[in-house]
Amino acid sequence: MLEQQTFTKSAGVNSSVLAGVLSCQQSGCRSLGVEVFLSAGELFAIAPHQKGKVQEEPVLSVQNKQAQHFDWALNKLDSSVRRTGRITRTLLLRIFHDMCRTGYPSSNQALLLLRSCGSLLPEVPLCERTELAHMIWGKLQDLGAVYDASHYNALLKVYLQNEHKFSPTEFLSKMEEANVQPNRVTYQRLIAAYCNEGDIEGASKILGFMKMKELPITEAVFSSLVTGHARTGDMENAENIFSVMRDAGIEPGPDTYLALLNAYAEKGDINSVKQILEKIEKMEGYLMDRDLLQVIYSLAKAGYPQYVPDILSQMRYERGYIPDAMNLSLNLITQGLEDTAFQVFKSFPTLPSENHSETSMDYGNFFLQHCVHMDKPLSKLKQFCDELKEANMHSSPLQFTLYCALESKKAALAINLMKTMKEEGLPLRPHYSWPLLVGYQKEKNVQGTIGVLKAMHELGVEPDVETYTNYVLTNFDDIQTFRALLQVSLNEQFFIYLSSPSMPSVNLSHFKGCLIFVSVILVECFLLFFSTEAVGYFLYNLIDSMSDSEVQAKEEHLRQYFHQLKKMNVVIPTNIYRGIRNLLAAYHVPELIKVCGYINTEVSALEEELEKLKAEKQPIGNVLKQLIVALCAEENMQKALEVKAKYEPDMVVGGYAALINLCCRHDNVEDAMNLKEEVFRKDSSVALDTNKYLALVKVLGKHGRLEDAINILKEIKEKDIPIKDTTVTSFFHILNAAAMRGEVETVNRLHESILTLGLAKPSTNLCTPLITVHLEKDDVPSALEATIDCYKKYGKMPRLHDILCRLIEQGNTELLQKAMDFVSQERGEMMMLYDIFFAFLNTGKYKEAKKIIETPGLRARPGSLQWFAEKCIATNQMETLENMVEMTQKLFECDRDEMYYYLLKLCKISNDWRKAEATWTKMQEENVIPRARTLRLLADTLKNNGQEVPFDVPEVIYVNALYMPLQCNVTSQLFFFILIVEAYNILLEAQKKDIMFPASAYSTLIKALLAEGCLEEALKVKNIAETHIKGFTLNDAASSLLIITQVRRDYLKDAISTLKKVLESDMVPMSLAVIRLIQALAMKGDLESICTVEKMVENLATSIGLSRMLFVNNTVLAHIKKPATDLFLQYVDAGRVDDARFLLQVIIYQERNSSGQKIKTLLDLVPDFPDMKIVYSYLLKCHALDNDVVSAKTLFEKMKSENIHTDEIFLKRLAVLLKNAGEPVPFTEPPESFHFYVNKLTQERQEISSHAE
Amino acid sequence: MAATRGSSRRVFELFVSQIHWTLATKELRDYFAQFGTVRKCTLPFDKETGFHKGFCWIGFSSEEGLRNALQKESHILDGIKLQVQQQKRRSFRSQYTNEGETDMS
Repeated sequence: MLEQQTFTKSAGVNSSVLAGVLSCQQSGCRSLGVEVFLSAGELFAIAPHQKGKVQEEPVLSVQNKQAQHFDWALNKLDSSVRRTGRITRTLLLRIFHDMCRTGYPSSNQALLLLRSCGSLLPEVPLCERTELAHMIWGKLQDLGAVYDASHYNALLKVYLQNEHKFSPTEFLSKMEEANVQPNRVTYQRLIAAYCNEGDIEGASKILGFMKMKELPITEAVFSSLVTGHARTGDMENAENIFSVMRDAGIEPGPDTYLALLNAYAEKGDINSVKQILEKIEKMEGYLMDRDLLQVIYSLAKAGYPQYVPDILSQMRYERGYIPDAMNLSLNLITQGLEDTAFQVFKSFPTLPSENHSETSMDYGNFFLQHCVHMDKPLSKLKQFCDELKEANMHSSPLQFTLYCALESKKAALAINLMKTMKEEGLPLRPHYSWPLLVGYQKEKNVQGTIGVLKAMHELGVEPDVETYTNYVLTNFDDIQTFRALLQVSLNEQFFIYLSSPSMPSVNLSHFKGCLIFVSVILVECFLLFFSTEAVGYFLYNLIDSMSDSEVQAKEEHLRQYFHQLKKMNVVIPTNIYRGIRNLLAAYHVPELIKVCGYINTEVSALEEELEKLKAEKQPIGNVLKQLIVALCAEENMQKALEVKAKYEPDMVVGGYAALINLCCRHDNVEDAMNLKEEVFRKDSSVALDTNKYLALVKVLGKHGRLEDAINILKEIKEKDIPIKDTTVTSFFHILNAAAMRGEVETVNRLHESILTLGLAKPSTNLCTPLITVHLEKDDVPSALEATIDCYKKYGKMPRLHDILCRLIEQGNTELLQKAMDFVSQERGEMMMLYDIFFAFLNTGKYKEAKKIIETPGLRARPGSLQWFAEKCIATNQMETLENMVEMTQKLFECDRDEMYYYLLKLCKISNDWRKAEATWTKMQEENVIPRARTLRLLADTLKNNGQEVPFDVPEVIYVNALYMPLQCNVTSQLFFFILIVEAYNILLEAQKKDIMFPASAYSTLIKALLAEGCLEEALKVKNIAETHIKGFTLNDAASSLLIITQVRRDYLKDAISTLKKVLESDMVPMSLAVIRLIQALAMKGDLESICTVEKMVENLATSIGLSRMLFVNNTVLAHIKKPATDLFLQYVDAGRVDDARFLLQVIIYQERNSSGQKIKTLLDLVPDFPDMKIVYSYLLKCHALDNDVVSAKTLFEKMKSENIHTDEIFLKRLAVLLKNAGEPVPFTEPPESFHFYVNKLTQERQEISSHAE
Repeated sequence: MAATRGSSRRVFELFVSQIHWTLATKELRDYFAQFGTVRKCTLPFDKETGFHKGFCWIGFSSEEGLRNALQKESHILDGIKLQVQQQKRRSFRSQYTNEGETDMS
């Protein structure tokens, strides 16, 4: 065993850390410096935990989110109850589990859950509801929920609703034990419980308690007594309760009457029921539809469904009738009274379908679905479907029922439904089987899969390629099941499919592990469906789908397989055979090529052809080449050489090349070289292809003809033979083969030649054989020398890990020290420490490894750790990996989750769920916060082994899936759109499963959808987000986009309200959004709204760069649709001269051809307009535009008479107008250009400048 | 795939939604073939449930096919109406970035 001190001895000056630490550990004393260092190290050691959390999400925020989520869930429950009067078991359980996970259920929350376990669950059988209540009760109590009377009362209510039989006295004593005082409600409900059993005595006892405690006796108690007497069969006393009540000063109300109604209903006494109903009506009493539905329930339960229509006819169809009736219907189905349920359902007031012709509304989906869930027999379902169809209530009830059966994975029902559909002439399609197959696929239930396929086959629906690819083939692990499929389905299409040319698109990976069985099966199936092509394609695809190492590992299997095919006289077409041969060549399994050649024959035909041509004295070159190639393909070297000798003059280069390659494959170096010489004598410019040269190098190297091999390499260089990636790989294989033979010189010289000739660049891979050759001979010192040399020459350090391991195993401390010094010097101490750490780990020297990794100041190197972990995983070294994970626990910056992830990965591969579970426990011990992927990996491993998953598997995958499309940086718009649709659908899917996303995900998706103009979808996402996340609001950008999109769609009111919301939530809209909105409003002439918006953004306008002119402009625009004068007057009245001026200008623009008429009209309206100068200027502009010289001159005169100053622009414009008309200019024309003055004026009027255009 | 994209890159695509679960690729392909040659029909299936997601893309090899399909007022397959629209491809950004503030003309 190697001692620590051996390498501290001469650790070198640079290894101060190592030296310091090791010596400290050795001596047990610490210098002050080291101590400081260590304490820092200890500090760091705590850090990884925190870091692990930070990387994912701050813990606080996670908790927050959980709380948020919980609130949301409760809200959802609440809204479900309010909307439909029921909740689903799934939702209830989900909330319950969430509550358990958060740890501290409040008593209110507990109450809510308990309350939900009664009639709110019409889809759950009565006893299961109570079980649910008990389960929740117990679990929450364990979690520390404190129960008070309200909880006990809620539980009692649930008992009553679920008709649960229990002992009220026991219940009371339990409350007593828990030190909870029963209250009035408790007693009332206990009385009800006794009465439901017809136990008047018991009820009286409780009544006695109540009286003793001076609790008031309410109507509820009397109602219970009515029921109680009725259930003892004493209707007279039941009726008497009414007078007792009245004597006690309580007027019987609906509850009491309802109790009586139910009592008669239970007796099937419909006449009494009707009489009471009449009586109630006469008394102007009032029973609600809901009460009548109860009577129906009583009738149905007691076995008098024939009277149900009598009660149904009394319904008033109040608001809320449908959900109530629906719940009754569901409840009846649950309790096996589906016929009555159907009667109730049919009584629904159906809305007259508006566009019946196009899309007929389908009614009764809920009914059919629940019938399926409750496993109603096919005949019943069929009957309901027929009735629905006949009544035109449902367009495709059978299909919908099938959908429900498929969705709930009821295979037998689904198949029977399909039979029925077939009988009815409805089409059946292969994809109907998919939901079932998906289920079996997940369970790896091959029998189930086969059963479905068989059933489909019997239904005349042959599974298509997609069915096999996606849902069937992935299930096969072993021969028996495959054989079973074969025997069961005898499905020709399947084999055709398996062997079809389209196979490349099919993932064959599931065959990789089970070649032998494939071969046996193939033999069987080819006996059945013989097709030469099919065999070939199948083989090709099979081999193609295997990796290099797999083919090598399965070489023997493949060989057997080829032999088997040969025995069966299977022949593969030559073109396919060549493909296979090339594949095998690429996999470096020359032996297999020979065997494979047995199943390819075309030689005899070619021989005949050749003889024939020869006899006819026709050129044989081409056929000769084909024959040689065919013989090569058959690997018949002897005969090929004979043929070549026989027809030598007619040989062409192609024939030689094939022959040379064949000889190389057969290790026939002499003939190969001779043939090469021969062809070169014929034509010295001939170049073989890369592979043939490589084959020569390989065989020459193998036979020790090193110089010849190097010459071939030189020839490759000289003839500029193309070097591909595969060529470099081949170089490696050639070198490695030599290394495995231990031929140091061959390896070194070939390697050197390859590099000096520039045929390949130095790489670790290519250098590896230089070291391997020594390791193969167990010459570790030389190996070390070689790797040091390699580093000096090429900067690579191949197989260092192996060398270190060997040195440790051999206990060669001296060389180990040398190696470490070298590494330390070249790559730094840190690398050296890791290298030696891994070497110790790998050799099982855990104690030493631990000392190394605990070196203070050592940091985690994720890349190195990953390398070693992956190596352990690949070689199935569980113990080693476990040790690494354990030892790195305190390593600074070590990502603990990552470490455990590696461990779990190996657990999954080795299918070791116990180890996985233990890992999970260890993670908890270590307080590692696992990432979602780690949990999923763990969950997978457990699930695959039929183990319960002790935690909620995070569905983060959805978040990723949602983000992925959105974060994709794609340039193609179309593709982008597809991704968005994908994201949108993921979200909807997730929504169905009640999975939440972070708010940012919603915002991102909404923005993306808006950017694509998908307003409806965006709004849907927004609604989802709002219902899921409390206080969810769109951010500024998304809101602005929403406004813009709404404007584009002309939903201006919506846009305004969006803007309003944005402003209310103190967000800042993009100016573009406001501009678009204002413009659109202007086009509509909607002055009022413009005004509203203007007010809304008043305070923001400047900060987001909205000019007031935007509003002015557009107000004017809006006015153009209306009399502009209104506005003008408004402006003038308000003294808003600028605005009035601007309006004028706009009018001029808009009404150029009206000869300034409008302006004149305006002037008449407001003779004392404060700024006449400007009005006149515009008037002149109008005249100028109209070329109206006379009016212009008149205007000029008028201005002079009114003493109004004419500015330069005015004069210039007038002058131009006059000159153009050939008239004299009666004033000094301003010298500069017109634009000069415009600019001048513009500068003066800064506020208009940017908008006046 | 790459080859088809290279030779004639434009695909005339329809986005079809509200597809009833009973329909699969074959039915959609057959139906839309009446308007023109259908080059592709992508109907994504949910590998978790085995049901499709209710929408698909139909690619015609010519614009004519696309036009024909769009011209038909309503598309009813197996008695159920399909929602058919042209696959949008215009970018929002290019439409809006160049517009000024108060363009009045």
